[in-house]
Amino acid sequence: MLHFKKTTQKLKEQQQSPGPSPRACCILLEEQTRLKKRLHDLQKLRKESGNCPQDKVPFPCPELPFVFRGHTQQGKEGPKSLLSNLRICSPLPRGSALVTFDDPEVAKQVLQQKEHEICLEECRLRVQVQPLELPMVTTIQVSSQIDDRRVLVSGIPVGLKLSEEQLLDKLEIFFGKASNGGGDVEVREFLQVGVMLGFAEDGVAQRLCQTGQFKVPLCGRHFLLRVSPYMSGEIQKAEISFQPVAGSVVVLNIPDVMDGPELHDVLEIHFQKPTRGGGEVETLKVVPPGHQGMAVFTSLSV
Amino acid sequence: MFRGSPLVDSRQESRNPGLGCQLSPPLSRHTWFPGRAGNWFQGVTRARARSFLRADADYTKSLAEEIKKQNNRLKKEIRKLEAELQVSTRDFQIQENIPETKMKLESIEIPETDSQLLNRSCSFQVNVQVPYELQRGQALITFEKEEVAKNVIRMRNHLVQMEDESVDIVAQQVPLNSEVRFQVHVQISEVKINVTGIPDKLPADQMRDKLELSFSKSRNGGGEVECVEYDTQSGSAVITFVESGVAGKILKKKDYPLYINQNCYNVIVSPYIEKHVEKFQVFSGISTRTVLLTGMDNVDLDEDTVEDLINIHFQRKKNGGGEVDVVKCSLHHPQIAYFEEETYETI
Repeated sequence: MLHFKKTTQKLKEQQQSPGPSPRACCILLEEQTRLKKRLHDLQKLRKESGNCPQDKVPFPCPELPFVFRGHTQQGKEGPKSLLSNLRICSPLPRGSALVTFDDPEVAKQVLQQKEHEICLEECRLRVQVQPLELPMVTTIQVSSQIDDRRVLVSGIPVGLKLSEEQLLDKLEIFFGKASNGGGDVEVREFLQVGVMLGFAEDGVAQRLCQTGQFKVPLCGRHFLLRVSPYMSGEIQKAEISFQPVAGSVVVLNIPDVMDGPELHDVLEIHFQKPTRGGGEVETLKVVPPGHQGMAVFTSLSV
Repeated sequence: MFRGSPLVDSRQESRNPGLGCQLSPPLSRHTWFPGRAGNWFQGVTRARARSFLRADADYTKSLAEEIKKQNNRLKKEIRKLEAELQVSTRDFQIQENIPETKMKLESIEIPETDSQLLNRSCSFQVNVQVPYELQRGQALITFEKEEVAKNVIRMRNHLVQMEDESVDIVAQQVPLNSEVRFQVHVQISEVKINVTGIPDKLPADQMRDKLELSFSKSRNGGGEVECVEYDTQSGSAVITFVESGVAGKILKKKDYPLYINQNCYNVIVSPYIEKHVEKFQVFSGISTRTVLLTGMDNVDLDEDTVEDLINIHFQRKKNGGGEVDVVKCSLHHPQIAYFEEETYETI
């Protein structure tokens, strides 16, 4: 009897021992079912979005029509960035001008002398020269992600008799109304793929994307437009270096004694004189006397 | 009692969602209270019970361990996928090094607003794309009309006569890649500068005054200060000058002397730059008039001939085609095919 009791005791203890109980196994199995479902969902999502290398964007994105016109090239090419419309603007103070010489060496020579005296019939003009430096972006890093306060309105028919500004206004009016599911529009932008609208409050963008399609009145008719999430970009890093423009010289502090065309000729004559250290002038542009100007530079190749 | 591993057999899992739960009742009910045959039964049961229980405990232990191991493996896979998907659905990065380009003076303009004169600016357009690669045995055909292209794709299979043989060509939509376009705008202030490395020696108000005094000393390259924004915590400030050009002069050097009482500290100066992106758009190209033709891997003719044959075949309405603009095929090596934006004439 005693022996039995002892065994019972021992076995009972063993049953309640800190080893995993059947109850624990139960819980572990429930967890496994949950994990398996989560994995299955993620695998499905990955399959739907494709094998996402950096060049593929895995969410419903707007489309732009393209056509093949016969241009091909042998070989392979990875993702590439095309830069275009490079434009650099540099303000110029009152009484200044920009001189570009054919030969960069001439410019160097001219710059060796900080002050120049331009001889006129009755007087002398004292001016200063300075090299020209332009800010150039050398590296750019842009990241982008879905902006939860912005949407893209697409499916806008081509050929509507509306200017960009008019279209933006009409869409802002429609999507600014709470009755249409919208809200206060904070920012708007006309794009090739549609119109971007940014809202002042949270939740509006999500609401609109959920509905997805809207009958919007434009030009007396109703058009079915699509609203989808918008990916916005942000500059993470932009490295800028100031590059001298070889062959160019800024002329400063020109006294305001004559008008533009006259001044232009006077300066050109002066800077073309080899005796004055000058040389053949490619271009010479004068800031209109009495005004400040903005020099606009564009790229030769880009 | 010792059923097959519930982890492998999912059918069993659904039938017996909690296998472990079934272990305890049999244990207590049948092992300990076997029935009427008293001691003998107990004796046997005791031993058996002991072994059962021990075995059961062992089984439970190994079962639990097995489940735990599997769960950990699942968790690891889930984390990996989550990281992968998050990176691609949430954001992507574009990094570009811009080559040196020669600039030409286009004009000198008189700006409409004075504010434009306060900055030097640089702006450009960036288009990031993955060129389309035409593989061996494939061709691209552009039709004049969209409907024809659609029809050809709808028909899918086309039997094209190429000299002696009939080639099975499959027509499908061109799987174009996505493209990202945006404008970069950078403005470098002519009147503001960033100052960093300011020592935390004085309360904010006094430090602002010291900054103004030091930066207005023309002998050090400074000029009249319009305003000072100072942040004690980061030890940085933004100084706005009245005249443009002062900033440029100061920035010729990397540092500037700041006088605080009897001491001079060299603070770091850098340009005040504002940068932003405009017209950011991500889209996928869709080919409306161009169709991809595949299935010409084994065609033993030259490319020109094949292109002509395809052209002739798909010009015919009875073959489901129509007016053809361009045909290009790749029989030997893959080629890059450049797609351009479709320009529609607006009414």
